[in-house]
Amino acid sequence: MFRFLGRRLFQMAFLFIIFLSIVWFLLQLMPGDITDTLIGDPSIPLATRLELAQRLGLDQPLYLQYWTYITNFFKGEMGVSFSRYPQDVSTILWEAIPRTLVLVLTGTLLAYWMGFKSGKLIAWGRGGKTEQGFIIAGIGLQTVFYPWFAIVMLWTFGFFLGWFPIGRFISVGLWQGSGFDATTIFEQLVVTTFIAMMIYVGVRYLIKKAVGNLITEQRLLRVAGVLVLAGLVAYWYFNPARSYVADIVWHTMLPVATLGLVLFGAVMLITRTSMLETLGEDYILTARAKGLPQRVIRDRHAARNALLPVVTSFILALGTVISGAIITEFIFSWPGMGLLFLQGIIVSDIPLVTGALAITGVLTLVAHLVVDVLYTFLDPRIRIS
Amino acid sequence: MTLSLENLQTRRVDPNKPLLEVDDLVMHYRIKAGEVSAVDNVGFTIHQGEAVGLVGESGCGKTSVALSLLRLLPANAEYISGQIRLNGDDLLQLTEEEMRKRRWKDIAMVFQGAMNSWNPVYRVGDQIREVLDTHFRGEMDIDEQTEHIEKLFAAVGLPREMVYRYPHEFSGGMRQRAVIAMALACSPELIIADEPTTALDVIVQDQILKELKRIQAELGMSILYISHDIAVIAEVTDSLGVMYAGKLVEYGPTSEVFARPRHPYAYLLLRSTPAITGPRRQLAPLGGEPPDLLNPPSGCRFHPRCPFATERCSIEEPPLAEISEGHRVACWNYEDVPELEMELVR
Amino acid sequence: MATKETTQGTDTDAEVRLEDDGSALLEELVRGHDVRTEPLWRIRLRLFRRSFAKNWGLFKDSKMGIVGLIIIAVFGLMAVVHPILMSTVWDPAIYDPVSGYDAVFNEFTVVEDGALTDPLTEIELTQARFDLNPTVDVGDTARIPVQPAPPSLGGEDGNAHVLGTDPQGRDIFSQLLYGARAAFLLGFVAAFTTVFIATTVGSVAAYYGGKIDGFLMRTADLILLMPLLPVLIVLSAVVQINMIMLGIMIGILLGFGGDAIVLKSQALSIKIKSYIDAARVAGGGDSHIIFRHIIPNVIPLSLLYMMFGVTIAIALEATLSFLGLLNIRMSWGIMINTASNQGYLLSGTSYWWLLFPAGLAVSFLAFGFFVVGRGMDEVINPRLRAR
Repeated sequence: MFRFLGRRLFQMAFLFIIFLSIVWFLLQLMPGDITDTLIGDPSIPLATRLELAQRLGLDQPLYLQYWTYITNFFKGEMGVSFSRYPQDVSTILWEAIPRTLVLVLTGTLLAYWMGFKSGKLIAWGRGGKTEQGFIIAGIGLQTVFYPWFAIVMLWTFGFFLGWFPIGRFISVGLWQGSGFDATTIFEQLVVTTFIAMMIYVGVRYLIKKAVGNLITEQRLLRVAGVLVLAGLVAYWYFNPARSYVADIVWHTMLPVATLGLVLFGAVMLITRTSMLETLGEDYILTARAKGLPQRVIRDRHAARNALLPVVTSFILALGTVISGAIITEFIFSWPGMGLLFLQGIIVSDIPLVTGALAITGVLTLVAHLVVDVLYTFLDPRIRIS
Repeated sequence: MTLSLENLQTRRVDPNKPLLEVDDLVMHYRIKAGEVSAVDNVGFTIHQGEAVGLVGESGCGKTSVALSLLRLLPANAEYISGQIRLNGDDLLQLTEEEMRKRRWKDIAMVFQGAMNSWNPVYRVGDQIREVLDTHFRGEMDIDEQTEHIEKLFAAVGLPREMVYRYPHEFSGGMRQRAVIAMALACSPELIIADEPTTALDVIVQDQILKELKRIQAELGMSILYISHDIAVIAEVTDSLGVMYAGKLVEYGPTSEVFARPRHPYAYLLLRSTPAITGPRRQLAPLGGEPPDLLNPPSGCRFHPRCPFATERCSIEEPPLAEISEGHRVACWNYEDVPELEMELVR
Repeated sequence: MATKETTQGTDTDAEVRLEDDGSALLEELVRGHDVRTEPLWRIRLRLFRRSFAKNWGLFKDSKMGIVGLIIIAVFGLMAVVHPILMSTVWDPAIYDPVSGYDAVFNEFTVVEDGALTDPLTEIELTQARFDLNPTVDVGDTARIPVQPAPPSLGGEDGNAHVLGTDPQGRDIFSQLLYGARAAFLLGFVAAFTTVFIATTVGSVAAYYGGKIDGFLMRTADLILLMPLLPVLIVLSAVVQINMIMLGIMIGILLGFGGDAIVLKSQALSIKIKSYIDAARVAGGGDSHIIFRHIIPNVIPLSLLYMMFGVTIAIALEATLSFLGLLNIRMSWGIMINTASNQGYLLSGTSYWWLLFPAGLAVSFLAFGFFVVGRGMDEVINPRLRAR
């Protein structure tokens, strides 16, 4: 297992370097650098501009700049932002990453959970008007013009109904003077969720190893899942920052719902197709012949196998998720990486844009790895012995 | 009721008592183009402890009959008339929930292509366990279940630790044995074996057949074999039925039907099987194709391909009539069918 | 060399037709048999028409596919109607989607400052004095040009603006129709490029195999990894992108990405069919085999992906235009961009004509192409057909 992981990591690192190089060279083609923004200011003499260029290493030959960038990148340094000078890119991005992660992870997980459940149910029901309706709704959600959809969502639920805040990620007034820092809280949110997931994975592995039969195993797993979730919620409930976390959650809901809805449509349709294919398999007929109850056949046999293609489809959906995140952050003024990326493009802040793209690449590769590992857990036929 | 293989052996079997009676079953599939007459007036009886075989080409309806016994046909299958009586109860009249409770417990099935009967993501033992959990909920605890499953594996000659393996870790023949083990799990009164030996090599075929025969004898179970391979069927059955185009055309004791088939189709079927022993004969292939059951031929469904057909055959459908003790044929001209120079070697 | 074609489809007996190329071998083969000869293109055309008829029947069964076609037809009509209207009924000075201007006058009641209840029918005193003349007073009716103007059917002193005007006084309906033209142009360019690239790459990779295949597939994997929107955003910053360029870029990225991989499998399954070997034995060269045999069989599948590609292209263009990153005159995305720039993004129902027509247009046209794609999918993959 670990040799497999090691090999994969190596492959990924290699791919990543190629990706980073392409990105870096491509972005060098973007017109303008920081010194151009100073051209307009007559009070800054040419000599100062030249010195600034020298300090930032912009006067070096291209290949040298490239090499410096790559080597620095793996040390964690991504240069200095042009538009937010003298803040360096790493700091800026580091702050933004957890915000984007909270948005994207919550949205994706919700969409996949609900989408899978719905797709499973409509594929199981014997067709009819309800199924047609859901299919059309699913396609509609997939093809709706996303920026417009986000605007409508924001206006309806934020402005018109007033149920949710109109964008941004915290109610700034609430936090002033509270002693809590939004970035820290976000970091903690991400970290605790990650730890909870790792605990669950570990517990799951142990249960599967220890228990010899399926029935007890499934019952225990369900209990474990609920416990871990309860533990996570309890941790935050008894946390002194509770109401501030609640504020964050309140701000998250609308953008997550918007991003999630569109993904939900796609996942539901994919699940339905996968279920329909699975239902044609022989072991489903056997399950029926065994006199198993309908629910067991649907969930334990059909859905469990239909899950596999849906999980792999996530890889292909990643591109959509990233694009969706960018638009969502733009419309909801959610200060994550997507928004930084867009702002960077508009002002030609090359290091910032390069950094954002690089981090996105890293996260994408991590997602690929997670899906691969997840798949080996789900399909015993391809376990690495 | 405590379940154990030892208990199963004490089941008393009366070969004269009928276990399952299929009575004039008529069933068709509804498709866009119309109705496909898949099973037409099929009737036969399986007695306690008896091994019955149904032979015929693909599409003759034998699998439809088998699936009807468990009511596992797709939604577009409609029963027009007839009964399927298990110990007197008409299975066709039961509600779905009542039928569900009887499945596997009263009648179990070993499917065609048993390889794919297993869900690839769960262990084999667990897939047997769920049957016990469903039908004997509360009567067996986890350990009793485990013990029972391990006994089942031993009964079919599989090593104990394979219970905890996944299906892809089994070879073809082992998977087949495991399927038989699962079928025995609730000690049903009847097992349906649908093409139990297709896709197995000859040696494994032989083993599986012997296994089934032994189990049947030891446990006093009835078995219904479905196959297109008449040679296989003849070896292990007591009674044999030949189906063609949805109709049962001949039925009787295997030794009689096999040695002296009276229906032209059965005769041609047996003649097309090469024999290793016995006098050399010309192989007589069957010309033409099976009929379209959307618009079946008039009169006898076999008449377009029948070398013994007369004019009456295209007008009037022959009934399945008894011509000697327990031997029934559906043919106007059965007396014209010649002797078959073949011997049944068991 | 004579080429033999057999018909597939619902005929139970195969018909054999030979291409008449005047060769002696053909005469030899034909002698003594009752054989009709006709040119290859005729054979191909008949086969094509037959399979088309069958596939159309299947396509019609999926109601969604038909709905999609209707939607596309409606938008197509819009695109065609626009130039007609512009050159006949509409005065370009007023109705041109980019440079037209119409001052629509509305009547407003002048109210006290701070007493404004309905911005669509009332105007505050200071504002009225600023817009009109300093002598108006509370209670007066002021005729003030309004941009953006709500929909009106014109009448006595105004022009018809079925969907109102935008913040710069341009007719929304005209913009909507013009946007249809732009969308179709983009869709066509993107579709054509996708099919071209995917088919070529897939067929070449399948046919040559080995190192060429490996290289092409690695590149395709890399492209598949890249999310389209950020890549296009970056490209838009590097280069000024217009409609055609955008279409080509999208086509290359989509065609080379996932599509080429799928098409390669399809091409592979054809390559191993025996008639390819037969063609090679008969003397067909590499390009002959690729063009005459592999590609025609791969085209149906690539048409399927083309449909989905158009859906993606339309959405991408609209998004990029909305963000203001493209160099095009007018499109539905630009319409929303204009509304957003002038601060009408969250105007909701008050200025609905600024956001809803354009947003719905993009959604519906994308929906139409997607649904047609699904209909085609059911024809090509029989497993998906209705139970």
